[in-house]
Amino acid sequence: METFLLTAYVLMWPVLVALVLFVITRAFLREWAQSRREGRPII
Amino acid sequence: MPETELIQFSGIAIVLLLVAFYGGTFVVSLLIGKKEENADGYMTAGNKVGFGISAASMTATWIWAASMYASATSGYTYGISGPIHYGLWGALMILFIYPFGRRIRAVAPRAHTLAEVMYARHGRSSQLMLAGSNVVGSLISLMSNLIAGGVLISLLSPFNFIQSVFAIAGGVLLYTLWSGFRASVLTDFVQVLGMLGVVAVLLPIIFFAAGFPAAFESGAGNLTAQQSNFFSSDAFLNQGAPYIAAVLAYAIGNQTIAQRLFAVREDLIKPTFITATIGYGAMVIGVGMLGVLALYLDVDLLNGDPNNLIPQMAALFLPIGLLAIFVLMIIGALSSTADSDLAALSSIAMADFYGQTVGKENAKPKTMLLIGRITMVVATAVSVAFASMGLSILDLLVFVGALWGALVFPVIASFYWDKVTNKAFTVAVIAAVAVFLPVRFSWISMDGLVGPIFDIISVVGIGVVLGLMAFGFFGLRVGKIVGVAAALISAPFSIGFLHDYATLSGSLVTYAVSTAVCYLMSARSTDSFDFALIRQRVGDFDETEDLDDELARFDEIDPDPLAGGR
Repeated sequence: METFLLTAYVLMWPVLVALVLFVITRAFLREWAQSRREGRPII
Repeated sequence: MPETELIQFSGIAIVLLLVAFYGGTFVVSLLIGKKEENADGYMTAGNKVGFGISAASMTATWIWAASMYASATSGYTYGISGPIHYGLWGALMILFIYPFGRRIRAVAPRAHTLAEVMYARHGRSSQLMLAGSNVVGSLISLMSNLIAGGVLISLLSPFNFIQSVFAIAGGVLLYTLWSGFRASVLTDFVQVLGMLGVVAVLLPIIFFAAGFPAAFESGAGNLTAQQSNFFSSDAFLNQGAPYIAAVLAYAIGNQTIAQRLFAVREDLIKPTFITATIGYGAMVIGVGMLGVLALYLDVDLLNGDPNNLIPQMAALFLPIGLLAIFVLMIIGALSSTADSDLAALSSIAMADFYGQTVGKENAKPKTMLLIGRITMVVATAVSVAFASMGLSILDLLVFVGALWGALVFPVIASFYWDKVTNKAFTVAVIAAVAVFLPVRFSWISMDGLVGPIFDIISVVGIGVVLGLMAFGFFGLRVGKIVGVAAALISAPFSIGFLHDYATLSGSLVTYAVSTAVCYLMSARSTDSFDFALIRQRVGDFDETEDLDDELARFDEIDPDPLAGGR
């Protein structure tokens, strides 16, 4: 049980990182597509 | 555990890696480069950056080399809770500034630096205190990242430390110089993709390659009772608590956070900062787990230096191709912070030292841009020089941290309370630093009644820290209740022994003294400042805009600052 908990404790962080990466990338792609539609620079 | 002989990349391989990385980021910066950069855009990118880029930039900026190295060292030293006591509180530095950030943007929507707003609110002395501390902090950060990069490359290649420092410095300057903050932010996005992607993939690979989860059982005997305890008091008192005390100080004192606060589209402040908090925390704690794994494996540190821990673990368990990618991840982390520091320094020089000196109406945008670029070059040169000399910056870092701690209450109060005066602000900061120094460096004996007296002051500091955090999210009434309750609850556990922890005591007395002095002097004031004046005094320096930029401008929000709930 302790091994399982420690494993979950260590591996939960890369999973959370992957989730944040997904959120940020999706938002960036939407902003980039919108800026292209509007004909303006993304930043 | 056998001693590690670190893999050495050939000179050609390292050069190709660095050219690929910095060349790539330079190309990205060229994509957004303009022949005639706008001075305000150079500093805050037009105040309407979207969520994706802002969140990525905030995450990348806050993750510097020290974040990862210190988190891993914390894991190796304090065991399983070590990375939490570094990464969690560091992440909260981002989170706890955002409620104040909304008020700051409402009061000064077109500001470039916090110091600029302090000039409009109070005057020169307040501005220079904040700007000066920002400059020193950014220079230290820049130097630290160059040193970290220099050590890493010299460890893994035939190049020496100074050559490596020059390579990193040159690479960062190359892509940041022309477009300033805009280049910094966009390249942050590319860099954070790499950083987060690498951690998400390589950490599990190292975990399984190192023989986990079985090694949790075989290596359990390598941990002390404190190290295997998730609720380790050792880890909390030596790592977590001092860091909690520093949460608001670093958030207020760091121009890289404030710059992103002013850059992001105003209605996106909350999601940006929450996402950056989670991203930073997950990444840094995740990398910190390498220290915990090393502890279970009984890894001997190369040369006894904890800064070698991360390269060691990566070199032990990753094939050379993945190791190269891991190295790029660290270079990305330190470069993203270094370019943010350059952008921060240039904005302070442009807005605070030039813009406010000649006045908004007289400021010449082209001169401003030139000053910004020269600042970047000079800052890089100074940082390279100090990094090459191998000077100890720890004492300077401690002093700047204290100054930031002394600034927290006066700065925050200045945005909400119309009675705070320039004199109260200045005297409070000076008094707080004057009390901090003897406590932090143990210049005075804590024998007899002296220790408990400082403990009582520290208890007030605990109330101030937690009260301010609660005020930001829930308003004045809740802030006061939490502050008083925190002080009363912590008193029996703190009085009589807290003075044994000089770092923690130093931070807490700083908060207490600056708050008490600022409050008592301001309460007696008959002044009543009109906050609307700030919006008039702080604005764009460069009125030339693209029509497309103007079409995309949004209205500002104006929240009631003292109401509950955010």
